[in-house]
Amino acid sequence: MGYLDGFRVTFKKLFEQRVTQQYPAEKQEKPVRLHGRHVLNRYEDGMEKCIGCELCAGVCPAKCIYVRGKDNPVDDPVSPGERYGFVYEINYLRCIHCDLCVEACPTEAITESKLFEFSFTNRYDAIYTRDELLVDGDGRPRQLPWEDWREGEDEWTSGWMRATSPSGDVAFENTVAWSGELGHGIRPPEQGQRADGGGE
Amino acid sequence: MSEAPADIEITDPVTITLDGRQVVVQRGALLIDACERNGVYIPRFCYHPRMRPVGMCRMCLVEVDTGRGASLQPSCMLQCSSDMVVDTQSDKTRKAQEGVLEFLLLNHPLDCPVCDRGGECPLQDQTVGYGPGETRFVDEKRHYEKPIAISRTVLLDRERCILCDRCTRFAKEVAGDPLIDFQDRGSRTQVNTFPNQPFASYFSGNTVQICPVGALTAEPYRFKARPWDLEIVESSCTTCSVGCRVTIQSSRNQVLRCLGVDSDPVNWGWLCDKGRYGVEALNAEGRLGVPLGRGRSVKTDDETALEEVSWAGALRTAADAITSALDRRGPEGVAVIGGARLTNEAQYAWVKLLKGVIGTDNLDAQLGDGIPAEIVLGLPLATIDDACRPGSTTVVVSGDPKEELPILYLRLRHAAVQDGVNLIEIGPKAGGLTPYATVAMHPLPGELADLVRAVVGGGAGGAVAGVDPASIERARSLLADTDGEMTLVVGRRSLSEDTGFTADAVSVLVSAYDKVRILPALRRANVLGALTMGMAPGVLPGRVALAAAPDAYSTRWPALPAGRGLDTTGILTAAAEGRIDTLILLGADPLTDFPDRDLAERALAGARNVIAVDQFVNDSVRLAEVVLPAAGFAECAGTTTNIEGRILKLEQSTTPPGTARPDWMIAAELAAELGSDLGLDSVEQIWKEIAELSPSHVDLTWEMLSDPQNRDGLVARGDPLPGSVRFEAPEPTAHRALDSYSLRLVATRKLYDEGTMVGRCRSCAGLAEETALAMNPHDFERLGVEDGGRVTVSSKRGSTVIEARGEAGVPRNSVALVVNAPNFDVGTLIDANDAVNEVRVEALQSVAGETGSEGGS
Repeated sequence: MGYLDGFRVTFKKLFEQRVTQQYPAEKQEKPVRLHGRHVLNRYEDGMEKCIGCELCAGVCPAKCIYVRGKDNPVDDPVSPGERYGFVYEINYLRCIHCDLCVEACPTEAITESKLFEFSFTNRYDAIYTRDELLVDGDGRPRQLPWEDWREGEDEWTSGWMRATSPSGDVAFENTVAWSGELGHGIRPPEQGQRADGGGE
Repeated sequence: MSEAPADIEITDPVTITLDGRQVVVQRGALLIDACERNGVYIPRFCYHPRMRPVGMCRMCLVEVDTGRGASLQPSCMLQCSSDMVVDTQSDKTRKAQEGVLEFLLLNHPLDCPVCDRGGECPLQDQTVGYGPGETRFVDEKRHYEKPIAISRTVLLDRERCILCDRCTRFAKEVAGDPLIDFQDRGSRTQVNTFPNQPFASYFSGNTVQICPVGALTAEPYRFKARPWDLEIVESSCTTCSVGCRVTIQSSRNQVLRCLGVDSDPVNWGWLCDKGRYGVEALNAEGRLGVPLGRGRSVKTDDETALEEVSWAGALRTAADAITSALDRRGPEGVAVIGGARLTNEAQYAWVKLLKGVIGTDNLDAQLGDGIPAEIVLGLPLATIDDACRPGSTTVVVSGDPKEELPILYLRLRHAAVQDGVNLIEIGPKAGGLTPYATVAMHPLPGELADLVRAVVGGGAGGAVAGVDPASIERARSLLADTDGEMTLVVGRRSLSEDTGFTADAVSVLVSAYDKVRILPALRRANVLGALTMGMAPGVLPGRVALAAAPDAYSTRWPALPAGRGLDTTGILTAAAEGRIDTLILLGADPLTDFPDRDLAERALAGARNVIAVDQFVNDSVRLAEVVLPAAGFAECAGTTTNIEGRILKLEQSTTPPGTARPDWMIAAELAAELGSDLGLDSVEQIWKEIAELSPSHVDLTWEMLSDPQNRDGLVARGDPLPGSVRFEAPEPTAHRALDSYSLRLVATRKLYDEGTMVGRCRSCAGLAEETALAMNPHDFERLGVEDGGRVTVSSKRGSTVIEARGEAGVPRNSVALVVNAPNFDVGTLIDANDAVNEVRVEALQSVAGETGSEGGS
């Protein structure tokens, strides 16, 4: 009778709820703090947050970031201050999504989105340039031809950043001095955090 | 960029207690230095070991007990005395350090992410190391306009300044250009320039390097990279021949900046701006990365433009040109000008190719703008330290060191101002050293030897060569006190004057004083190496005279030249007369650099084939049949020789552009194409051969040169050896008496000119000033010329209209022009065969009124 035990398992599974998903036709909700590809954010007035300081490139353990700064044009500045990120490239063949760049960024310019589904057909596509990383005029990431993501997945592109307080403590209880972000304004605080004023 | 104090020998020991242990230090040494030598670093901002302490920043406060109880004292202002008890770790010291930093940061903008200094900033580092961690300051910080350009290359951000007085002290004390200073009072105190007076110092880049914050930043390096991008190698600057030690800092195979390294015998950490920013030329547009040629034909009737060709084709063309010259005229048909740009090893390879394979002795690394090789090679060499030895007397018979060898000028200036060195300046006209010279004499062109004879010999007591008797008397008495021991800085005084006068003056001094050592003030990068390696007629590597060539050369080299060849003037004259078939330009631009433009033009037209090895296409290279691209500074390893004969390592930092090759490799390939094997296949191996063959380098192994202990270089033997080139008193050079209508021409150099490299360096290119006809104001009335008026200057070669300007430092009856200036080429007035070039000056009466207003342009 031994082999009938095996059939019993098969029949039982027939009536259970299925766990297989028809990916990529169907997609699962992603965790808010997933480390996907990066975006370069803008201030609410449209100015780029990146100042080309190269701290992200300096801290990157995979050496996948290449940044070069340049003097901001006086009549048409790209970012507030003296310098802006003139070249900004991330090589996704090397990136390990550790998020140290996000930690290092002094202006919250670079954050990681939840977007990770991309399949390049050549190595050059794997190197995301400044234009490709920058959010558009509505503060949304740019969808590139080889990326597969749906409406709504571009929400919370700075989700992980919000969970990390300045001291790296999620339960940090003081003002988290987030700056306003194009398309999103100042995001609400998470549990245990204050977003209201009171100064630094 | 180390700013550590130099190691000293303790001659007067005292024992102090440093953090609980007993250490022996030199009595009177500054406490901050003594602690650092004993492994205890005291944080500081204003203190710099090469400048006088001022105690401005208070960061170096430590608790010291000198017998009157422990108290906080600035260690940079305190000299070590016996039984001092120093505590650098006490609570009181820590509290003082935290307090000072909190104060310094009150107004500091903390814009570190956009600051060029971020990552290598002493203020950042010391805040992390000794700071309080938090600030209590909540008010608005002081604001100033963000960077203001105080010169072409220096930007000043006053918000970041912590008023440490380093830059202003440097400008006053070290450079002697007090163009920046503190202004305003109290919390509004700021460093700034004076109105309408930019910080136009040749040494301004040093203030950027020593600024302990990002207040002074360099425009050429602005936002180029951040410190953690940079790959750093230590090398030597080859802009001029002083041989300053530098770190070459590159990122992504591009040299981005050079910083000075404190080398005690040479540059003390300082660099001139030309050396500091000259590396920009490496990446300049027009840099050759591919050989150029004119197709198949060698100088066909129709002038074809230079086009890119293969290395094989270019080498074949060059070798064919040499072979055809050998067939037609023998080795004398081949001549080479230049080679001072090369490394020692490349120079040896080329000399071996030319003298040992081709067999020609027509080779000169100086472009008729130097001094005879016999002076440099036939007399014992001095070091810079010899010339600056406290209390000694140094005679300077050269052009203006400030314009030609800026760091030598800094050292001589320091020696004269702070170490009591007596400088006797015998320049062509008043220059940078004149204010610091004990005696400054500016003899008329052609009368240098007469003046030196008068100084040495004594005599009538009248004015000689336009120099007043009091100065001559003073110089004589100074020299009389020297016991015959003297350093003679000797270089080219003026390009329009024959070097025979200099040789006469040197021979007078050498015969009068028995212990004369010379420091050649020659400006081309590795000219000493070139002359030592045999890049002059009649010389073989190691200062060996061709006439007395030892057997080693004939056994190791395939051939030797039959007899003494021609120098540059001789080569160009022969080429102009059609006696040179193939002229090789080794990084040389005779059209620009040879003093006589007309002769250079005729020579380049007269040579059947011109082969150029260069980094850029300049005026002379444009006329070449084939151009071989060479690797430049920071692109090849090797060694260089500075004016003292010091052998300094050069390190490779980046790769050459395109297929450009090191010069020694080009020589080896060319030899192979000519069917001969030089047997040279690496820099190290070339050095080994040099050390085996050359009597001057016999003890210097590659291992010794590569030893980090010898990073300041090793001085090759500078004394004449048996068989060396000898300096013999030449036949006195004659000069015509001055007729009452002519004025003698003085042609001197400026640091920034229209040279091949400096003209392609973005930061320096616009700094070349237009030349005016400088003349003594006493001559104005006699000639009917007005200050600022336009005059016609004419020599037998040509004439031009130029502005006249009064300059009291120009000797009477002479006029001075600057060589290689953007508005006028003095070479068009000079005849290289004339011992003294004379010009006539006439005021341009008719248009003087209209053009008078142009003076300010």
